[in-house]
Amino acid sequence: MSAWGFVSLAYGIVWGSILVYLILLKRRYASTAADLDALRSTEATSSDAKK
Amino acid sequence: MAQVAIKKRKGILGALAFVAVVIGLFWSLVIAPPDAYQGDVQRIMYLHLPSILTAYLSYFLVFIGSGMYLWKREKRDDLLAHSAAEIGVLFTALTIIEGSIWGRPTWGVWWTWDARLTLTAILLLIYVGYLMLRSLIEDENRAASAAAVLGIIGFLDIPLIHMSVYWWRTLHQPPSILRPDKAPWENVHPAMLTALAISFVGFLLLYFYLLSMRYRLGEMREEIRARRLDRGA
Repeated sequence: MSAWGFVSLAYGIVWGSILVYLILLKRRYASTAADLDALRSTEATSSDAKK
Repeated sequence: MAQVAIKKRKGILGALAFVAVVIGLFWSLVIAPPDAYQGDVQRIMYLHLPSILTAYLSYFLVFIGSGMYLWKREKRDDLLAHSAAEIGVLFTALTIIEGSIWGRPTWGVWWTWDARLTLTAILLLIYVGYLMLRSLIEDENRAASAAAVLGIIGFLDIPLIHMSVYWWRTLHQPPSILRPDKAPWENVHPAMLTALAISFVGFLLLYFYLLSMRYRLGEMREEIRARRLDRGA
């Protein structure tokens, strides 16, 4: 492999891995935010019903 | 209102990180000259050094968060330590991979049981263990306490890694930047130093962007858990 081959491999793995982590983190974030919103709205509905 | 302000700040941080990373890539791959001895392979150092320094910073935050948690028992300190450990593991793993790719053309091997490499691999294993420990213990408070102890002990590996090239005869070269006898600009070409500095700023901004998102994720999970407990009570 040429010098630029090694450089490309290193840069590709690093930025690819960071991008994959960022995407996975954003997905976890979005699904947790949706769960929290659903829980908040359920609580608001049930407290309104009690009133 | 506060949520909107936090979101806006996070957006600005993300945009700044992106710009710094792009400028850093351009400087590292185009403007910086090839090394006189190593040639273009040396460009891997513009990733290698910023990623290990970012990992060290991350473990320092684990150390601070863990110590504060054991002292004050506040959940936010544990959340900081947990978030920082997860991102620290990513950057340590990347450091080892970059080092290995650089080592093949430079040393002729992908891996060697050199003191610095071995201690860095141990650092990675400690914090992978930290994350596993948290998922294995069901009681949240016990898991946080056990992980905090490991987080503090694990940090002690970092001075060992730094000093390993002085204390043992290693294949890994001594530091080029953090040398006690020479200032960085006396030892490294200004264009190379600039590439390194911009890359480091990019990694730092990216790190704080990831950390803020991971920390908020932990906060939301904690809120869900607390609300479910309240409903159950």
